[in-house]
Amino acid sequence: MAVTATVAALIFNAARSDGLPLIARTPYQILAPCPEPGGPVQPLPADSPELIGERTFLVDARPADEFDSRHLPEAVHLPYDWLDPVPDLRLQELAEAIAASGATKVVVYGDGSRPDSGEHLGREISGRGIKNVFFIEGGAPALFGSEAP
Amino acid sequence: MKNARTAAWLAVPARWYLGLLFVSACLHKIADPQSFALDIATYDILPLVLVNLAAIVLPWIELTAGAMLLAGWRVRAASVLIAGMMAVFLGALVIALAHGLDMSCGCFASQGAEEDPISRLTILRDLWWLGLALFVLAFDRRLAGIDHRLRGRSA
Repeated sequence: MAVTATVAALIFNAARSDGLPLIARTPYQILAPCPEPGGPVQPLPADSPELIGERTFLVDARPADEFDSRHLPEAVHLPYDWLDPVPDLRLQELAEAIAASGATKVVVYGDGSRPDSGEHLGREISGRGIKNVFFIEGGAPALFGSEAP
Repeated sequence: MKNARTAAWLAVPARWYLGLLFVSACLHKIADPQSFALDIATYDILPLVLVNLAAIVLPWIELTAGAMLLAGWRVRAASVLIAGMMAVFLGALVIALAHGLDMSCGCFASQGAEEDPISRLTILRDLWWLGLALFVLAFDRRLAGIDHRLRGRSA
């Protein structure tokens, strides 16, 4: 019975167009990548006129020492740590502050590296249901020039 | 005597249930052997050279054994086969859980670990099915199905 089933299985597999090779040559990718967290963000050039506006909410994603050294006026500081996710409470507070400000656009800037902390923080904010979230291409170095901390 | 007869009658729906279970479990594996091969590989027990072979052959053995139980043909052989497969599946589950793998069992339609994760409940469920297969093996008296008709003719 088992032999008959085995023969039938091999014949069926050989006959189908998408049959499996009898011996796998490459290991299966059993570790699926984690899904990208958060929502959509859009890039914004550092010299964009849209950056300056009463209805733009600015967020600085860099570490505290870099923020203290220099930041855009009115920018809210929310450091993005790659190893430690932004606490839910902080994100919730930020989302409420954005909603209360009446801003129509949120612009986040980070260290401008690859990957960019500003872009990733933007995704997390966007994932909180905030629309029109942008990140500055090139981050703080693009905004402040090479002397940016 | 009366208990034996009751058990023999109970073995009939038990084997129908098991047969239906195995036939339904094998269909998606036959239709989508790639997904089933990935499920087998995720257990990380079989060497790579055997993964595809198992993914191709195992569903057909399930189909054959399940259909035989449903039809009531060579029930003892089919229940031995099913009990053997359940024992192997149980062993794989225990090893996967011991290794802390966060995965789907791959028993039915391929699902993600989030939807159908292996757990102690999966082991209890498989133990129940193993017990049922052993029950059929021990108490089936060919009361319905092809074996019953063949016996009637030969008598």
